[in-house]
Amino acid sequence: MLKKIINSHYLTLSLLFITPIIVSAETLELGFAYIGPESHSGLLGVKQGLAEANVQGQFLGQKYRLDMMTIEDADTKDFSSYIAVIAIVEYKDFIKLSDTLVNTPLFNISIEDDSLRTACLPNALHAIPSMSMKADAVIQWKQKNPDSNAQAQAWHGDFVKFAARDLNKRFKKKQHSTMDDTAWAGWAAVKMTSDSVARENISDAKQMLKHLKTNLSFDGQKGSDMNFRDTGQLRQLILLVEDDKIVGEAPVRGVAKPPTLDSLGLLNCEKQNR
Amino acid sequence: MKQYLIASALVVTFMSQTIHAEPTGRIFITNEKGNSISVINGETLEVESEIAIGERPRGIGISPDGTEVYVAVSEENLIAVFDPKTLEVLRKFKSGSDPETFAVHPNGNIYISNEDDAKATVYNPKTGELVAEIQVGLEPEGVAISPDGSRVIVTSESSNMLHIITVPGNTITDNILVGSRPRAAVFTKNSKVVYATAEISGEIVKIDIENAKILIRTQLEDPKSKPKDLVLSKDEKYLYVAGGRSNSVWLLDATTLEVIKGIPVGKRVWGLAITKDGGRVFSTDGVSGTVSVINTSSNEVIKTIAVGKFPWGVVIDD
Repeated sequence: MLKKIINSHYLTLSLLFITPIIVSAETLELGFAYIGPESHSGLLGVKQGLAEANVQGQFLGQKYRLDMMTIEDADTKDFSSYIAVIAIVEYKDFIKLSDTLVNTPLFNISIEDDSLRTACLPNALHAIPSMSMKADAVIQWKQKNPDSNAQAQAWHGDFVKFAARDLNKRFKKKQHSTMDDTAWAGWAAVKMTSDSVARENISDAKQMLKHLKTNLSFDGQKGSDMNFRDTGQLRQLILLVEDDKIVGEAPVRGVAKPPTLDSLGLLNCEKQNR
Repeated sequence: MKQYLIASALVVTFMSQTIHAEPTGRIFITNEKGNSISVINGETLEVESEIAIGERPRGIGISPDGTEVYVAVSEENLIAVFDPKTLEVLRKFKSGSDPETFAVHPNGNIYISNEDDAKATVYNPKTGELVAEIQVGLEPEGVAISPDGSRVIVTSESSNMLHIITVPGNTITDNILVGSRPRAAVFTKNSKVVYATAEISGEIVKIDIENAKILIRTQLEDPKSKPKDLVLSKDEKYLYVAGGRSNSVWLLDATTLEVIKGIPVGKRVWGLAITKDGGRVFSTDGVSGTVSVINTSSNEVIKTIAVGKFPWGVVIDD
């Protein structure tokens, strides 16, 4: 009985008492900041990502911590020590944060507005799909299935392809809830950052931002080789869901033009930021 | 009378020193959704029988003395043991959660990857005793053991690494970051080099194990190739790689990792095994429900054998 309890809380314990398996000369310690509500599925996703980053990190001499705060606390905070910031905030607060956090990756995991993409904020990384991506997915789907009432989603708890099953299983086991769009985005934000630390040895926020924007090839467990557009939007597969069942995926084969992820919501920057 | 007794004593001594059981030549296949083992005759290449084994059998391996075959029965969290001659299921023992793949050490112990638990566990299959537990990365999958028994590789699929474990300590001494979702690994005969596949990046790497360094990496061009199992030819000049949904077994030059050709087999090819004499490679074509037999002189498929539902693993008793 005790052994069972220990096993099921193993990952939690390993977060609390991280002892590297290899005795390394130095452990690289990096911090993520989360700005948003204390209780949100997105935060569960961030925590899941962090736990997993630390599982990998313990073999590589890398350790991650998470500082959580509300938007009010963020006002007076010094963010210079963080490798990335992940936000679930109102539109106007996101703009303010973007202005403040120059040269630090700022992940948006909740705002869908197209205008936030066309604003082409230099440090914004939109891990969730924009409204026009979702709209385009539905349009494509309806071309093949005119009577369908499917809605577009970034993720679904029953998604099994591309190792999604493994992620859904891990998340459910540890967080005791079903992974949704924002949770996936929060998880992805942490994982793509920690993967970049592991693979590219980047420990500086400015370098990390540059790498994420220009050089990323991320396995988000919903399709591999994920990367960002100029607008800061993460290119990704969109699921079509009807009556809580996955009925299809976009880009829809035979319909999508171009037949790539860029058939979904590709937007241009309002003005040139160079 | 005395001479007779001495002669029999000598015969008995001789027999008890036989190290290996006479191999049956059979090829054993785990049918993941058929919950069974297909038994293929090594000469006729026909299915002799199908044995019920338990829910979701995946990894399969044979004891060093050839007397027992082990099967990871994933849904039941146990290892089933059967006799390769009589096909009788001898016993089952608990193995830690969700055993997927395992490898058999020359000392007889088995090293299992426990997919759901970020662990690799070591069991003595004769007694069912847990020998060691090794914490690894997320979703451990492949296990490979060096022929000299000094090292065990466990791949962590979702942590994208190969862990190098030294035996007898059973601790991790090195970790190598590879492409996305590493699956299987294989050692060279001298135990110094490892080849490994990474599913999502379609990557194959060649690693110097002693120095824990990647020597060469290559990527399969076909994006549908999610490579899984790999085996070395007898002369170690060639690598056969199961190409997943590219529905081919890829033949590579083991020195340069250049692709020589793709050998079309059935659908979703994952498992591979090569005969001791190097003459044949067997692949499990999961979605087709078949096993393809490749002649390694011509590198063509000479036979396709219908087996159970979703064949996964393959082991040869030779």
